[in-house]
Amino acid sequence: MEKLSWLEIFISIIGQFTPVWIAMAIIFALSIIYKRRLGLYGRLFDSPVGMIGFGIVLFWVLAALLADVIVTHDPLAQVSGMKNKVPGTPVRGVEGSWYLLGGDNLARDVFSRMVMGARHVLSIAPTATAFAFMVGITLGLPAGYFGKRLDTFLSFLSNLVLAFPVILLFYLLVTPEIRVTGIPMIMAGVLFLFPIIFVVLLWQSRYFTQPAKRNLFVGVTLVIGLWAYSGLAFNADPLNIFYMDSNLLNVFVSVVFVNSPTVFRIVRGITLDIQTRDYVAAAQTRGEGAWYIMLWEILPNARGPLIVDFCLRIGYTTILLGTLGFFGLGVSPESPDWGSTINDGRKLLGIYPHPALPPTLALMSLVLGLNMLADGLREESLKD
Amino acid sequence: MTDSTQNASMLSHEADYDGPILEISNLSISFFTRLTEIPAVMDFSCEVWPGEAMGLVGESGCGKSTVALGVMQDLGVNGRVVGGSIKFKGRDLADYSPEELRQLRGSEIAMIYQEPMASLNPAMRIGHQLIEVPMVHQGISEHDAYALARQVVEDVRLPDPDRILNAYPHQLSGGQQQRIVIAMALMSKPALLILDEPTTALDVTVEAGIVDLVKELGHKYGTSMLFISHNLGLVMDVCDRICVMYSGEAVETGTVNDVFDKMRHPYTQALFRSIPLPGADKNTHPLIAIPGNFPLPHERPQGCNFGPRCDYFSEGKCNDTAIPMADVDVEKRHDTRCLRFADIDWDAPLAVVEDKVRTKIGAPVLSVDNLRKYYEVSANALFSSAEKRVVKANESISFQAHEAETLAIVGESGCGKSTLAKVLLGLETASDGSILMNDQSIENTPISERSTKTVSSIQMVFQNPFDTLNPSMAVGRQIIRALEVFEIGNNQGERHERMLELLDLVKLPREFADRMPRQLSGGQKQRVGIARAFAGDANIVVADEPVSALDVSVQAAVTDLLMEIQNKSRTTLLFISHDLSIVRYLSDRVIVMYLGHIVEAGTTDQVFSPPYHPYTEALLSAVPIADTRIKRKRIVLEGDIPSAMNPPPGCPFQTRCSHKSEVPGGLCDTELPPVRNLANGHQIKCHLADDILSRMEPVIALSQDGAA
Repeated sequence: MEKLSWLEIFISIIGQFTPVWIAMAIIFALSIIYKRRLGLYGRLFDSPVGMIGFGIVLFWVLAALLADVIVTHDPLAQVSGMKNKVPGTPVRGVEGSWYLLGGDNLARDVFSRMVMGARHVLSIAPTATAFAFMVGITLGLPAGYFGKRLDTFLSFLSNLVLAFPVILLFYLLVTPEIRVTGIPMIMAGVLFLFPIIFVVLLWQSRYFTQPAKRNLFVGVTLVIGLWAYSGLAFNADPLNIFYMDSNLLNVFVSVVFVNSPTVFRIVRGITLDIQTRDYVAAAQTRGEGAWYIMLWEILPNARGPLIVDFCLRIGYTTILLGTLGFFGLGVSPESPDWGSTINDGRKLLGIYPHPALPPTLALMSLVLGLNMLADGLREESLKD
Repeated sequence: MTDSTQNASMLSHEADYDGPILEISNLSISFFTRLTEIPAVMDFSCEVWPGEAMGLVGESGCGKSTVALGVMQDLGVNGRVVGGSIKFKGRDLADYSPEELRQLRGSEIAMIYQEPMASLNPAMRIGHQLIEVPMVHQGISEHDAYALARQVVEDVRLPDPDRILNAYPHQLSGGQQQRIVIAMALMSKPALLILDEPTTALDVTVEAGIVDLVKELGHKYGTSMLFISHNLGLVMDVCDRICVMYSGEAVETGTVNDVFDKMRHPYTQALFRSIPLPGADKNTHPLIAIPGNFPLPHERPQGCNFGPRCDYFSEGKCNDTAIPMADVDVEKRHDTRCLRFADIDWDAPLAVVEDKVRTKIGAPVLSVDNLRKYYEVSANALFSSAEKRVVKANESISFQAHEAETLAIVGESGCGKSTLAKVLLGLETASDGSILMNDQSIENTPISERSTKTVSSIQMVFQNPFDTLNPSMAVGRQIIRALEVFEIGNNQGERHERMLELLDLVKLPREFADRMPRQLSGGQKQRVGIARAFAGDANIVVADEPVSALDVSVQAAVTDLLMEIQNKSRTTLLFISHDLSIVRYLSDRVIVMYLGHIVEAGTTDQVFSPPYHPYTEALLSAVPIADTRIKRKRIVLEGDIPSAMNPPPGCPFQTRCSHKSEVPGGLCDTELPPVRNLANGHQIKCHLADDILSRMEPVIALSQDGAA
């Protein structure tokens, strides 16, 4: 079999992503047709920057979802004779099969590892960011709303976390000695509690006037929440549905831990601003509880800046995960996540640049897409 | 030609020029969005002659500010002049190069905006900002510029110019800041001064000072003025000529006297009928709101823009083609954009509306006795130091409010009226004194400890319609939420039904339940706010300036609505306001507050006629009244309201009182005046002797010639 030319490599890669293109085309077509009815999401399609950003992000999300169909080889399988082969090398002994982007120094397919890496990155980054937001919001709202001592205390705490060097913190959290003490587990125990608190408060404050509905919502939340909580934080799920690898748990907890103080500060700032509005005073004069005012009067109106920050923060988390992977922290050595792949490729960068470049470009394009999406959202949310 | 000779020739040309300073003819301005073109100003013409003050009035969205921006040639990226011309001293502004325009702005044409703080650079000292103007435009030395700045600061009557020049903007009060902005505009002695709502952000007594200043400086410097305002009274005070705008068009121009007394456009007439002038009364002589809504630019009707809301509308004539300006009186340059102005009987008396029966005022529902509210502010929140200061927001407040009564609480910002509202509603607890509501003592019960019944029986209507509704919740949902909290209705279905009834009550269509607040106009939002306040059958409603942020034509409708609901449900209305015209129109009794004290209380007639408390007198004289027949005594208060953190000793008003010299023995400086009962519940807190009080003349009087 012939080695593929660059053009053929390019065409084959485009071809491999066919399911992604089809899904993207459908989503874009539907969104543009109904954009006037889709609120802020629909208006995103009025801004070229936002649309491009959304396109890139959507590409990677779909690639992560459909990774099983897209990959050409098992990302962990090593094929003898393919070590450090250049892009387009045919796989020995298999008809019609190429290493599209070459092989790495363990003779694995770079292309498949890049695609599978998207799944790894995108399954952690948005969830970790969402957790960080729940923590930041649940603490930031009362800090801004009540102020005084509580605010002083929580702001001091967040400054403390922010002042600690992030990489050092990560090293500490994954050091075996520290892990033995159970600190990561305790942190997970605390941080994972916040989403449950957040959702329960949400239902309680809104539906306390209708006890039946309230009990149902709070009950369902508590059952599912505590079940997932026991599994994720303490690995004690009796049914073993919720489970998180202890390496992954470390990474997850660290990412949530370093991101939440920043979210806290943003939420606190917006709360200070919004709580002076008359509709907050109106809620107070009809005797609403503090949490109703925070979660239903203030939070929905803070959504603009928060959505934008959410996008930017996923990008930041993605880079952070890359950094962690690069240092070999918290993920298994075999893992195809982009950070680890870049680190692996780095060693032979001078001779074989091809294993390190694809994950680098992938990481860059995803973060760029997220930033452009955030820009587009910001631009459109300001118009009204 | 060298630069200097060119300048000289330009100057000589200007010196020779004796036409109008500003000549706008058939100006049309549009804003372009991605989707469409929005015409903001159409076929607008006006002239401003040297030394003349031209008033531009109209409701928000009528295009008056766009005209001003057009004159400044500062329409932004989306705006464009699409027709007509703006000539400044005879030369079309479109012919100016960007460089020449820059020379023109700030030196020949200066503009003063509504928010003084936004016009000043917070990081620069006042002096620095002022000397920039002549240094840039006239190229004079820093030393000369500084001397000029000092001179101008004295001209705008600011005390201690050297201190002011050294201060940063945030160290000055709002009124002082606006004076600095005016000073800055005058630094280069412009030929034309554009004032865009220059006093809207200020208190009435401060506003009166600024208005006097603007008038005086206009005469002194011979500056022509384009004065933009929504306040007809203010325009009457300042301007020689007036141009009334409606929905992007000028509908009537003429001298102030002509337009006010011999109006020839139905919109102008409707506008005057909807503002509370002296003599209007909620029972015998109610305001007449303009029916319908202000048309948005893309839904303007065919023909006359005012047609659908006009009483004199004639099918086939008014909605046929675009209507040109017509001369009413060529001599006086009085024009109107009405086809039927000759057919209409302008002096026809108003159709007599049936006299509403004055509601009988019932038993007291709220009595406040000797209420005090002090705030402690410590200098440092983290480490509570010994240095604590006390803000005395309310001092010995006592009053009673009766069932079905409208009690107005009048005062300027910082007088403690909002604190009083907070204490009544339970957002704060009283420091001392008592509040009895429906025979229940509530002064020390914060809202979280009040029973649902107590909470729902005292509710509030807020000032800012754009802030009163949660922007991310549908209108109906917000009303239902109030019903849920007040435990009204047994299930969601009943509450939904009740919510629709409340929408009926405030005269909003039921479809509005599913609308988001941003889809509603200001007046409609305010109605929803009212519906929400009345959701729990409140028997006391505190209305904090409920109409001050609305346009005049909408104000009348919202005020009427409040009165109607009050009549129906016998609610006690505590009407907080600084607008004395509306207070006179709708309230039964009035309380005047200054720096936390009630300085005068009594029935509306008692408060609005002599004897006055000196502060009430000044307040009354400061409010502009849009009626040429009214003669007002001018009492302009010096200085600003003292800080409640550091109130003056003795009488709170002594620092600004014009009658202080009439009290012997410096009593005002040392002793807080006692509450004196003058007649039938008319109370006044003043040291002035009885004979001086009885000699006081009415501030507002019908002038002899106009009274006929």
